[in-house]
Amino acid sequence: MGDLQFGPILGYLPDLLDGIVVTIGLSAVSVALGLVIGLVLALARYSGFAWLDWPAYAYIEFFRTTPPLVQIVWLYYGLPALVGHDLDAFWSAAVALGLNIAAFFAEIFRAGILGVDRTQWQAARVLGLGLGDTLRFVVLPQALRNVLPATGTTVIYLVKGTALATAIGTPELLRVGQLIALETFRPVETLTIVAVAYFVLTYPIALAFQALERRMTASRV
Amino acid sequence: MANEARKLVVIDRVVKRYGGETVLDGVSLDVDAGQVMVVIGPSGSGKSTLLRCLARLEAIQKGRILIDGALVAKGADEPGPAPDAAAARLSHDVGMVFQSFNLFPHLTVLENVTLAPRRVRGMAAAEAEALAMELLGRVGLEDKRDVHPARLSGGQQQRAAIARALAMKPRIMLFDEVTSALDPELVGEVLKTMRGLAEQGMTMLVVTHEMGFARDVADDVVFMDRGAIVERAPPGRIFSQPAEARTRAFLERLLEREGGSRRSR
Ligand SMILES: Nc1ncnc2c1ncn2[C@@H]1O[C@H](COP(=O)(O)OP(=O)(O)OP(=O)(O)O)[C@@H](O)[C@H]1O
Ligand SMILES: [Mg+2]
Repeated sequence: MGDLQFGPILGYLPDLLDGIVVTIGLSAVSVALGLVIGLVLALARYSGFAWLDWPAYAYIEFFRTTPPLVQIVWLYYGLPALVGHDLDAFWSAAVALGLNIAAFFAEIFRAGILGVDRTQWQAARVLGLGLGDTLRFVVLPQALRNVLPATGTTVIYLVKGTALATAIGTPELLRVGQLIALETFRPVETLTIVAVAYFVLTYPIALAFQALERRMTASRV
Repeated sequence: MANEARKLVVIDRVVKRYGGETVLDGVSLDVDAGQVMVVIGPSGSGKSTLLRCLARLEAIQKGRILIDGALVAKGADEPGPAPDAAAARLSHDVGMVFQSFNLFPHLTVLENVTLAPRRVRGMAAAEAEALAMELLGRVGLEDKRDVHPARLSGGQQQRAAIARALAMKPRIMLFDEVTSALDPELVGEVLKTMRGLAEQGMTMLVVTHEMGFARDVADDVVFMDRGAIVERAPPGRIFSQPAEARTRAFLERLLEREGGSRRSR
């Protein structure tokens, strides 16, 4: 093993930047999808209606217990076989990761909603607030504070998880890094730079969630 | 039945069960407009359940509940159409205050009070705020409008909860042991607010162990035991010469305990 040389990789920085953009895109789409589906699943599970609870439970357990890599492959290669209509490598990965992360968000949100005291629902009810208003103005704002830390961790986990899209050739950060490593024969240096890039992407997310948490706590007392 | 129309609240043979347990066993009670009714009874006798049925937090299995002549709840096998749940909820006739305040912790005092008028009544922000400030004035909390509940004492929180309930202009207010969670020195300010409400003619159903309040403010005192109303009488009578042995036994125990705790203070 020779000396570490980062010089040869510098020429590939534009490619790495392209990869970063794709990684950000994958993360944004799948987090947005995951948050929406996760909230719906959490409410379905919380509802107490078997016909909502049961399908939500099945969904969550299916996506939590099968590898996300396989889910991506299923969607990319399996969907065309199933419905004769395909998604490209970016959207297959983004949707599969979104569906997957939704299961984790759902469990986090459900715990957050359960953490809001029953008496808050009752207080809202005797004031005449309907279900929608009770969720929007009373329960979810309180649940939000409960779920911020776990949600932040999950989002960071997902950003790094977008690297699984490499499996179907989505040109995201890790994939670009692997190609550069092959061309330069400098895998250690390339992957180190890739790791630094992931850090630069995820650490601000951690900081943002911490700030949000501080703000929500401060406004409460 | 003919005079049901004049009664603000009619509770008619109400049965409430949790699973196999019968918690209200055919309770009938009516309250005139402007009356203050104090409900007393041992733990587990069904006092809270009665209030919760009135507030429509619980469904009833038998009997009927009417407010101002309108059916708001009924058992499944009662004749006649089911009450219109949405209409009943929208009539906002019942306000309730809980032992544990149950203020919304993420909202300021003002936001706690204005939320329901704005969302349920569709009141404009300025109008709701004016209403809230008037009510906060009545409970002595104008200067706490922008404070979150965690910054308030228990007594202040409970007064804010009373203002929040009043903001929906209920025709009857239910109080479920609203001073039981308070430090003794904070009980007085909440009772004073409730006395003020009673003087202004609010119809009130009050579950409490504060016998002084019952003596001074109640028109009638109701003694409940094991899911049934044992006795109903004006405070002067029920405290000095209760008709039922069970009422007497309960009051004696209560007075003993009160005497004991007063001496220990
Ligand atoms: N949600 C519930 N599920 C099952 N049983 C309940 C429920 N709520 C109350 N009960 C039962 O109903 C009975 C009456 O309870 P309730 O709370 O109405 O009594 P209470 O007179 O208010 O008592 P306390 O003075 O202790 O507040 C009790 O035996 C209680 O265990
Ligand atoms: Mg009770």
